[in-house]
Amino acid sequence: MLNWYENVDTLNPLAVSSRIRLARNIKGVPFPKRMNNTQKEETLESFKKLLDGVKLGNVGTLKYINMETVPEEELFAMVERHIISPDFAKKQGPKGIVISENEAVSIMLLEEDHIRLQVLQGGFKLNEAYEIAKKIEAILSEGLTLAFDSQLGYLTECPTNLGTGLRASLMLHLPILEGSGSLATIAESVSKIGLTVRGMYGEGSRSQAALYQLSNQVTLGISEQAAIDNLSAIANQIVQKELAARESLDKKSLEDSVYRALGTLRYARLLTSAEMMNLISSVKLGVEMGILEDIDPILPMKLLIETQSFSLQKANGRMTPADRDVLRASIIRERL
Amino acid sequence: MMCENCGKNPATTHLKTVVNGVVHENHLCSYCAANSGYSNIGGLSLTNMLASMFGESISSGKPISKRCECCGASFSDIAQSGRVGCSECYTTFRNELLPSLSRLHGKANHIGSTPKEEKGEETSAEKIKKLKVLLSNAVKAEEFEEAAKLRDEIRALEGEENNA
Repeated sequence: MLNWYENVDTLNPLAVSSRIRLARNIKGVPFPKRMNNTQKEETLESFKKLLDGVKLGNVGTLKYINMETVPEEELFAMVERHIISPDFAKKQGPKGIVISENEAVSIMLLEEDHIRLQVLQGGFKLNEAYEIAKKIEAILSEGLTLAFDSQLGYLTECPTNLGTGLRASLMLHLPILEGSGSLATIAESVSKIGLTVRGMYGEGSRSQAALYQLSNQVTLGISEQAAIDNLSAIANQIVQKELAARESLDKKSLEDSVYRALGTLRYARLLTSAEMMNLISSVKLGVEMGILEDIDPILPMKLLIETQSFSLQKANGRMTPADRDVLRASIIRERL
Repeated sequence: MMCENCGKNPATTHLKTVVNGVVHENHLCSYCAANSGYSNIGGLSLTNMLASMFGESISSGKPISKRCECCGASFSDIAQSGRVGCSECYTTFRNELLPSLSRLHGKANHIGSTPKEEKGEETSAEKIKKLKVLLSNAVKAEEFEEAAKLRDEIRALEGEENNA
């Protein structure tokens, strides 16, 4: 089974991934911040009993992992693959995740809320992701009493998530809008209709490789489907804007910058993570626009994820930043 | 002094970094400083903003000494952190929380999905909503006998809700 970044949406290659997140809590149990370690261990045990080994048709078998025993490199490699949040990786004390074979489903246990259910799919697949999330939610609400209030909806630690507890996000590749400086204006206008544009790693993160996440903000007074439909409609408009901006560029200079990026990636002996991301973004642009026809469309995202610092260390052991730059350059040379 | 990065704007952020005992000085304009992850003043955090919204409920009313029976949180714990202690806090401190919640979300009520076991409880509220629609249709169509029947049904359900 393929990971999210090993799928390319051929209809809409700019939409790199779709994510659905549901925040849920157990009724009558303090939120993680106010739990003691015994309560945490007991709660984790009940999640394990409920979810470990459950088979789900399109994503495979779910597996429980005790996150306290996972080494630091692997934790941050998971952050790089978008499976867990940076805050969860840093969090001390008992914590766990339930993850599917292809990592499309990951359920962070005892993050900010008891349950942070995430479904991640490559491409423009919000509805498909939400369908999977609903199936897992059904298992959760069968086995546990979820905290719910008919007026306030699902009850969460942070009052901004009340209601559906849903955050839907689309990750879009927008190098030309970024370069032209129009993203700030777009971010401002989408904020007026309850959406937000953020960098690749969500809250507080800066954009890397011109990848931007468009997400809904409003969770109370709007149904899940309406939130997803709004987000999809606006995402389509932004994608159209990026495509139009690409059309208006001078073909020769665009081709030149794409091939220069490819040239550097193919011959460089040292590549920092930041430089790699910039260059991969240009190559990805070249693939999306049909300039680089002989490059496998999944390769740019795959390299971008797999040659980040922690993912490299997870596969090859701990190393100095300089050694990482050498290894990163050699892996990319080989694969491109 | 102009920004050493862009050279266009006056430098307003002055950084000193020490790497292996060597001091580096950088002078950036506010735009370049923000772009490189530095800014003069820390941003407003969500926690601080929420805390100040909840805090207003404290300063405007008399002190609230009760604690949540489930998690032990007091309202000032919630107001200081901007975070709620547990699901029961939403019942315990409902009156204190609701004004800030409606400032946060508007006067909105949840209209999304509901958990399985809630569906039974939900029906009375949902039924009333549906019956009210039928009632207004019946009145418009001047079917007063039907309307009276619907009105009684709604009253009965509302009575049940208030007793619950």
